[in-house]
Amino acid sequence: MVGQQCFEVVAGMQWVSSGFIFRHMESPVHSLDPRTRLLFAVELFVLALVADSPLEVSIVSIVVVSLAIVAKIAKRLVRTMSFTAGFAVMILVINMLVGQPLVYSIVLAIRFIAIVGGTSLFFLTTSPDELEYVMKWFRLPQDMVFAFVTAVRFVPVLMLDATQIMDAQKSRGLEMQKGNFIKRIRNFIPVLVPLVVTAVIRSGELAEAMESRAYGAVKKPSSLYALRMRKRDWATGAISVMLLVVSLYYFLVIAPIG
Amino acid sequence: MKPLIQVQNYSFTYMGTSRPAARNVNLEIGEGEIVILAGPSGCGKSTVLKSLNGLIPHLYSGSREGTVIVDGHDVAETQVSEVAKKVGFVFQNPENQIFMFSVERDVAFALENLGFPRDEIRRRVDWALDLMGIQRLARQAPHELSDGQRQRVAIAGVLAMTPKVLILDEPTSLLDPLTARELVLLVKRLHDELGITVLVVEHRLDLLAGIASRIIVMDRGTVAMDGSPREVLARKEALTIGVGVPTVTRLYGLLTDHGLNLGQAPLRMEELAEAVNRLVP
Repeated sequence: MVGQQCFEVVAGMQWVSSGFIFRHMESPVHSLDPRTRLLFAVELFVLALVADSPLEVSIVSIVVVSLAIVAKIAKRLVRTMSFTAGFAVMILVINMLVGQPLVYSIVLAIRFIAIVGGTSLFFLTTSPDELEYVMKWFRLPQDMVFAFVTAVRFVPVLMLDATQIMDAQKSRGLEMQKGNFIKRIRNFIPVLVPLVVTAVIRSGELAEAMESRAYGAVKKPSSLYALRMRKRDWATGAISVMLLVVSLYYFLVIAPIG
Repeated sequence: MKPLIQVQNYSFTYMGTSRPAARNVNLEIGEGEIVILAGPSGCGKSTVLKSLNGLIPHLYSGSREGTVIVDGHDVAETQVSEVAKKVGFVFQNPENQIFMFSVERDVAFALENLGFPRDEIRRRVDWALDLMGIQRLARQAPHELSDGQRQRVAIAGVLAMTPKVLILDEPTSLLDPLTARELVLLVKRLHDELGITVLVVEHRLDLLAGIASRIIVMDRGTVAMDGSPREVLARKEALTIGVGVPTVTRLYGLLTDHGLNLGQAPLRMEELAEAVNRLVP
């Protein structure tokens, strides 16, 4: 019974988290340069902030959803959104409780969904590899980029560690799904402590391996691949900027809310 | 000819400990040797290895005596990245030395760090992948690989720097017997094709003893035995120190104790079988 529950919780967590994880796919959006996709995300963010009527925020949301459909990630975006919807409802309720008008609260809630949606669109279609190149392109310090890379790279490794430690502790009688909320959180301590210890040991070994592979030998490391803007990346980017200008003009000048 | 690696009167004590991890170690390893470094846990093997590629004293501090010279350079006076180009170090757990999201990018890691131009990186990566027979894994993510494949990626990652010495720290400890055998054959092939000097730390010597030209046994921080595998492994001390003497060599020892004259110590089953066959009319 407890095992079944445990399994359901883990399955549920995986269902939600898989909405955030990049998967290799072929689509017109995936094949664009990551910088063009980042531009999309920024544009959608600006639009969502500027939009201030239910109609306008809905338009932005519809654009996000249609882009997701083109990118073939609509299903996974919905998963991410199912998580976000809870927060959106909270925003709606809290705003109404503090006395904001209903329309304004609705705009805020939908705006939140649109912003999270637009951002997820970028992260769901961008591989960690591409993210790294974008970070390098922004001239972020090598240490920072490398910290990001290792953090993402070792997520599956740490997940495996955590599962093994959980199994080990369970076989020694730790019941993770028992007791009230506080008790359950405390149940995680016997998992967390060894997990942190192994992670620290691992980081020591990583440091050795980095040194042995000449990390930091030159100030500006070269790279096997480089980002390249092709014609269609420029074209798509330019069209999206034009659309942004038109939409901003409509949102701010033609249909400003009184 | 000058030896490639020269360790002279070398001692090292890690900071915060009182017992030296390496005591008055003297070693000379020539170009093109395959050397096994054996001995019980805590005998100072790792300390010696880390002193060879500069992790000691550059990453670990402590008190140090004597010198370690690799290819004419004093390791303590040379930057780790410079030593890394000469001494390729493959650590025990390949998981912790693969940093990138794809195999080919990880093999390129050291070359990128050294600032090689892009076409040179491409050429060397393809060469290393080919050499290790993992060209088809180039685009795979590290967590999609088996332990054996990950081990190969780790080796390719250091070979890309075209080092003169390849150090392998317990390379078969995480592998199943078949994959371990393949790895040993691969090491032999690398040695034969590249003329690279190989230094392997290993506990189970059944597989490795056959390809090694020399075995160095360490005990309590110092070199206890040094010689050809046949000679060293047949000695009684090998067992008492705690070296993983191959089963066939141990059997040979027992048979010899019973008065059988089997000639020189065998390292492979076939050799013992032949020797026994010769005795039986």
